[in-house]
Amino acid sequence: MNYDRQDLIELLAAEFVIGTLSGAARRRFQRLCDAQPAANAARARWEDRFATLALELPAVAPRAEVWQGIYRQITAGKVTPIGPRLRKRQWLALAAAACLLGIAVWLGPRLLSPPTQVIAVLGADVQHPQWRIERTTDAQQLRITTIAAMTSNPQNAFELWALPRDGKPPVSLGLLPRTGNAAYKLSNRQTAAVLAAGNLAVSVEPPGGSPTGAPTGPVIMVGAVVVSS
Amino acid sequence: MATMAEADTGELERLLGRCAAQDPTALEQLYKSVAGILLAVVMRILRQRDLAEDALQDVFVRIWLQSRQYDQIRGRPLAWMISIARYRAIDLLRAQHRVVPLIEEDLPPGIVAGDADESSGSESSRTISALQRCLDILSAPQQRCLVLAYQEGLSHEAVASSLGQPLGTVKSWIRRGLQSLRRCLES
Repeated sequence: MNYDRQDLIELLAAEFVIGTLSGAARRRFQRLCDAQPAANAARARWEDRFATLALELPAVAPRAEVWQGIYRQITAGKVTPIGPRLRKRQWLALAAAACLLGIAVWLGPRLLSPPTQVIAVLGADVQHPQWRIERTTDAQQLRITTIAAMTSNPQNAFELWALPRDGKPPVSLGLLPRTGNAAYKLSNRQTAAVLAAGNLAVSVEPPGGSPTGAPTGPVIMVGAVVVSS
Repeated sequence: MATMAEADTGELERLLGRCAAQDPTALEQLYKSVAGILLAVVMRILRQRDLAEDALQDVFVRIWLQSRQYDQIRGRPLAWMISIARYRAIDLLRAQHRVVPLIEEDLPPGIVAGDADESSGSESSRTISALQRCLDILSAPQQRCLVLAYQEGLSHEAVASSLGQPLGTVKSWIRRGLQSLRRCLES
């Protein structure tokens, strides 16, 4: 499809905004917006235009619990980030652990692998899962399966975060693979964070991961943790 | 409260800026300004209060997390937040493969915010004019399709089945309706 034609971009943007652009086409247009400011601007124009239709609806007051739930989640972002130097070493250790685990998973008999459960499937939208996140039942390891190869933003890393339900700061769980599978041995802190997580999120970070210990780039996916026992 | 949301784009942008700087009181103020609008949008698509309030919670966490990404090219802040809410609701709706009832009476009885009627009414009459003027130029079926898709979050297929029209006809109404709308809005 020739995306250079302004008319086509306008039409795709409009159908994206009203929601009739769906499935793979919707995802392609989302990527186009990430890459081309003209497409992004066209989408924003249509969002503006149609927003007046949303404002026709009479407002509905949410119950008080809704804000309380939001507040608990967002105050997770505030506290002490981990020092970058320590983190770099942690990353190297994690990467090494991941390599070893990967080899172990390949070579070892399947019986030796602890049972796992899927805790989240993350993607641009529900029809386009990108990564399946599993943890072992003891939450000492994380297994990540790339469902669709991540082709956009080759210069960036994608970092996985646990967003605890109890208002503590997000905890990095590692960098997500662009293709294939990965397995990580979790630290005690990460294990606790996985068990306490209400949501997992993916942020776009510089190569090597967030330099601050907190998400620094755009958060592109947030997904609820489905099993937390 | 809705009036402030629509009228004071600058204030909403300042609040988003403070969210990007991790100030939860800014999100709380945003919430007070626009939660009623966003819940209406999400509930119209999802049709269930519990589901809609869960989605709303998710929407505000996303607004918080993505506030650093907000930038003026993404449109006015209220339209940006409405879009986050709509896209989230549409994702949830389509994940459920639900057949959505179209009868107004089926809508859960919402608690209409005290000052919403008056303010959203005056706001609508002020700001809807350009879009409404151009929607009025479209044929009735084109107009109906666009409003159904946008407000109810219906797919091509769902619009076709709710209007009892062939899919191809509906796709063509939507495409032509959008093209006419664009010509009108840009003229």
